[in-house]
Amino acid sequence: MWGLTLKKIVALAVGAILCLGSFLLWTGSSSDTYTIADSTGDWGYPTPYGMYPRGPGYVRMSLVFDTLVWKDRDGLVPALATDWDYLEDRNAWEFTLREDLTWHDGARLTAEDVAFTFRYIQDHPWVWADASLIDRVQDVNERKVRISLSRPYAPFLTNIAGSVPILPRHIWESVEDPEQFRGQKALVGSGPYRLADYNKAQGTYLYEAYNDYYLGKPAVKRLRFVKLSQEIAPVALRQGDVNFSRVPTETAEGLEQSGMEVEEQPPQWAAKLLINYYNEPLGRKRFRQALACAIDRQQIVDIILRGHGIPGSPGLIPPSNEFWHNPDAGGEKHNPERARRLLEGLGYERGPDGYYRKDGRELSFNILCSSQTSRQFGRLAELLKQQFEKVGIRLNVRAQESKTLDARLSSWDFELAISGHGGLGGDPEILNKMILGKSFNSVRYRENEELVRLLKGQIREMDRQERQEMVYRIQEIYAEEMPAVTLYHPRWYWVHDGSVDLYHSPGGMAIGIPLPLNKLSFVDPKAR
Amino acid sequence: MKSRLLNYGIAFLVILCLNFLLPRLMPGDPLQAIYGDEALLQMTAETKAEITARFGLDQPVWKQFGNYLWRLAQGDLGYSFYHKAAVSEVIAAHLPWTLLLVGSGLVLATLAGIALGIESGWRRGSALDRGLLTFLMSASGFPSFFLGILLLLLFGVTLGWLPLQGARTAYGGLSGLPLVVDVLEHLVLPAGTLLLAFLPGMYLLTRNSTVTVRGEPYILTARAKGLPDWKVRYHHGARTAMLPVVTATGLLFASRMITGALFVEIVFSYPGMGSLIHNSLIARDYPVLQGTLFVTTVLVLATNFGVDLLYRSLDPRVKDAR
Amino acid sequence: MHVSYGRQLVRSGFGRTGLAIFGLLAVVALVCPFLVRDPHLQTVQVLEAPSAAHLLGTNDVGQDLLARLLCGARTSVLVALCAGAASTFIAAVVGVSAGLIGGLYEKVVMRLVDALLVIPAILVLILVAAYVEPTMWGLILLISALQWQGGARIVRAQTLSLKERAHVSAAKTFGAGGLHVACRHVLPDLAPILVVSFVHRARRAVFMAAGLAFIGIADPTMVSWGTMIRHALDFYYLPAWKWWLLPPGICLSLLILSFLFMGHSLEKAMDPRLRDA
Repeated sequence: MWGLTLKKIVALAVGAILCLGSFLLWTGSSSDTYTIADSTGDWGYPTPYGMYPRGPGYVRMSLVFDTLVWKDRDGLVPALATDWDYLEDRNAWEFTLREDLTWHDGARLTAEDVAFTFRYIQDHPWVWADASLIDRVQDVNERKVRISLSRPYAPFLTNIAGSVPILPRHIWESVEDPEQFRGQKALVGSGPYRLADYNKAQGTYLYEAYNDYYLGKPAVKRLRFVKLSQEIAPVALRQGDVNFSRVPTETAEGLEQSGMEVEEQPPQWAAKLLINYYNEPLGRKRFRQALACAIDRQQIVDIILRGHGIPGSPGLIPPSNEFWHNPDAGGEKHNPERARRLLEGLGYERGPDGYYRKDGRELSFNILCSSQTSRQFGRLAELLKQQFEKVGIRLNVRAQESKTLDARLSSWDFELAISGHGGLGGDPEILNKMILGKSFNSVRYRENEELVRLLKGQIREMDRQERQEMVYRIQEIYAEEMPAVTLYHPRWYWVHDGSVDLYHSPGGMAIGIPLPLNKLSFVDPKAR
Repeated sequence: MKSRLLNYGIAFLVILCLNFLLPRLMPGDPLQAIYGDEALLQMTAETKAEITARFGLDQPVWKQFGNYLWRLAQGDLGYSFYHKAAVSEVIAAHLPWTLLLVGSGLVLATLAGIALGIESGWRRGSALDRGLLTFLMSASGFPSFFLGILLLLLFGVTLGWLPLQGARTAYGGLSGLPLVVDVLEHLVLPAGTLLLAFLPGMYLLTRNSTVTVRGEPYILTARAKGLPDWKVRYHHGARTAMLPVVTATGLLFASRMITGALFVEIVFSYPGMGSLIHNSLIARDYPVLQGTLFVTTVLVLATNFGVDLLYRSLDPRVKDAR
Repeated sequence: MHVSYGRQLVRSGFGRTGLAIFGLLAVVALVCPFLVRDPHLQTVQVLEAPSAAHLLGTNDVGQDLLARLLCGARTSVLVALCAGAASTFIAAVVGVSAGLIGGLYEKVVMRLVDALLVIPAILVLILVAAYVEPTMWGLILLISALQWQGGARIVRAQTLSLKERAHVSAAKTFGAGGLHVACRHVLPDLAPILVVSFVHRARRAVFMAAGLAFIGIADPTMVSWGTMIRHALDFYYLPAWKWWLLPPGICLSLLILSFLFMGHSLEKAMDPRLRDA
């Protein structure tokens, strides 16, 4: 016989569970709201100076603020400007604005606002625009603006005209501290949506359609961004609580079979093996080639990415960037035999334990990788260690905190390291950033004169065909010189319920943001 | 009494010193050690210089310690560059969830533990007693985070009855009763985990006190009087001797449950202090990490102290358990 | 007081079970490198279900899970034994010295012990490990440093009561020095308490090490059950959890249980009221 208390407790528990169970059928989303899930949540206050300078931050800002030109699924399309012209002799761009443009507060949007914006970013640098490019801005008349550049700049249309958000002069001319500017006035833009709510702690955003948008009343009335971890996303998608999300790679297929639409992200992110070519023997091209031969990139893709990705392009630009990718750039294939021959040719001898030696010293390197966020890199380092062992080179894996790692990379205090970055799907300006640039992620390689000359030249080359030739040759030289080895390009999967037609723009939005969250999809969900 | 206070005082001092010394003992940039990774990404040279001056990072250690104590006394736990907010704000946003979780876990575990312990103790040696003892002892071998994972897999993943993460549905907009229900839904599994993790401990303690009390003369008298079994147990046994001990038993676990809740929160991504610690570890956001651990430790110490006081006032016969 | 603890352990049902489980895991820990393939080898057979080639399947980088499971045993058993032994040793030294020396030394030391006892060990462990990032031995050291306090009190109490015993006073009369008294006369009688304390510390050490690995502070190249559980949890939406997540969790629980059972039966042997009829 059980005690009375025990019975009471059990009864209470069962009752509680039943009550809860009956409420489990609750759903909360309205059919007018399109819900986008994101694992980070907070990407900053959606003004041009409040946003976090990353892709998702820009997307949230771009819903409220428009640019001169934009992109749709096929390429550049008019946005605030309907016409544009490049005046070659003056190295200036002329933009003709639409008629009857209005700001969210009703004021008229004119060429004055555009001119003001470009002057403003010279005084208050905007994170993705190099203000030194702009020499002079002139509003020729109410609807025409002329932007004179200080030097020829090939990616102007996409990276400047298609990225810089236009600010309302009547509000921002008195703003001294743009990063801290908040409130109703800060959110007055010309875009198809207005911010209705932003919760930093919960990482949520709510936008409402701006019905007087120049392209027409947006079809999706409300846009909601919520914070949801990737692992939960498939469940939320299936239940209809969320319309769009990135999903873990293994779940994409199952979701597609359930009737969802999968947008495969064309690989534009790269993981690289950084080499300190100031060190001996890493300074020798032959040695670096031996290293490259020891690496089995396909195996890395099969293990680390579990098949979801492609081996790294030796020329850095991946094949998905169709126009700029050089398919014949060269580079070393996986060939352990060749690696050994190269090493022996450089004077190394194989010791009894299988490792190469020279002058009594074993061939071994420290390979640094970040110990936190990307567990992937730790495992990648271990895999490389395994691969190098087969050839006879010893690798010691050293996990570092990311900031220590970045500092060491900056000061060349390393031998080998693993790092990664995106931006490879857009304009080849990225090559300049990643080969000549000063950031710790860049290889900062100036040893090859032709490479440096071509890189400096391609940015200024306004003829697309000529520029392509230069970029092709750059990739060839990079593949041969190999200041770093491109290891892999991962593939990401975005899943949505198909109610809005989402797509990736060629070369990404703005400066090359690879998210299929183009505001135009929400304005007119049918294909443009 | 005084000696107990002294103990807690020394413990508090040790924690303070540890918190202060650790980042400064690390090799490398003290700014990075104190402020974490994101800080260095965001700080300009001027800001770095300003902060170095303001917090006296280039001053002798003892002066820095004084500075540190002074700021702590004002409730300034530092600034998190990762969250872009004061650490105390970040903690204040997460602490209530931990308290909710621990509170409900405590209530559940105490009630269940007491009930089962009493029943088991009274029938010591019986099949029920042996069965419960074996079962609960076996259950106590499972670490709290694994128990949580098992519940998550069973009820969340396989059966899909309960939510897998968080304290509320992410795409909220709920308020009033539906919000309460939503919160309760998300609370079931984590609190259930705490219940299972601490039930064995409560049960054993209660059972042992019951066994001890069982032989007391007044119980025999009550039985001789012909009172029904349950009355003997609960009215006479429980009320006079066991209830004080047994309630204090529940509270004894309060401080252990706070640390236990940390792991459970990580498993369920419950937005309390545990998740905060976990995320700040990943991001190497040292101010938040330090602040959270400090606050949690102080909480544990305070709870312990409070329970000590309560214990003695409820039952003066009981000597300090330690 | 001179009950044979070994016999009690074997006689009690709990004790037998505990001993058996621990014995099995200890044997596995010893022979694991000879039994299985390399637990670190990454292969292209990722996330595979159990098969003839991989009896427990593989994880997300193609490592054999059975190999990792068995080698994880090695880590856990090692941590348990070493941390348990170290903390018991420190507790014995501190407790005995405090009991025998007495006076101000005893007062100061016991005050320190009491103060340190109230500090939640796991939180301090997380704090220190976040900065120091310990290897396995560093971890053992750290855990021992935070665990010895519990045993020290009991040892001291027992030492105090033993101090008055006939054979101890006799030895003192004969002019035996402190160390001699400690080692020859006090320590042997302390053995049962130390053994029980050791079992408790070992159990706590396993839990703490696994907990830390689960949070992610442990050395990532170390094969540990806690780390396996953590990695497996990332993939809970795949069926892999059945062979990836459950085995290390169950083994971990079994190890903890074995210590629990052994400790329980030893305690019963010491407390007559709880002894079975």
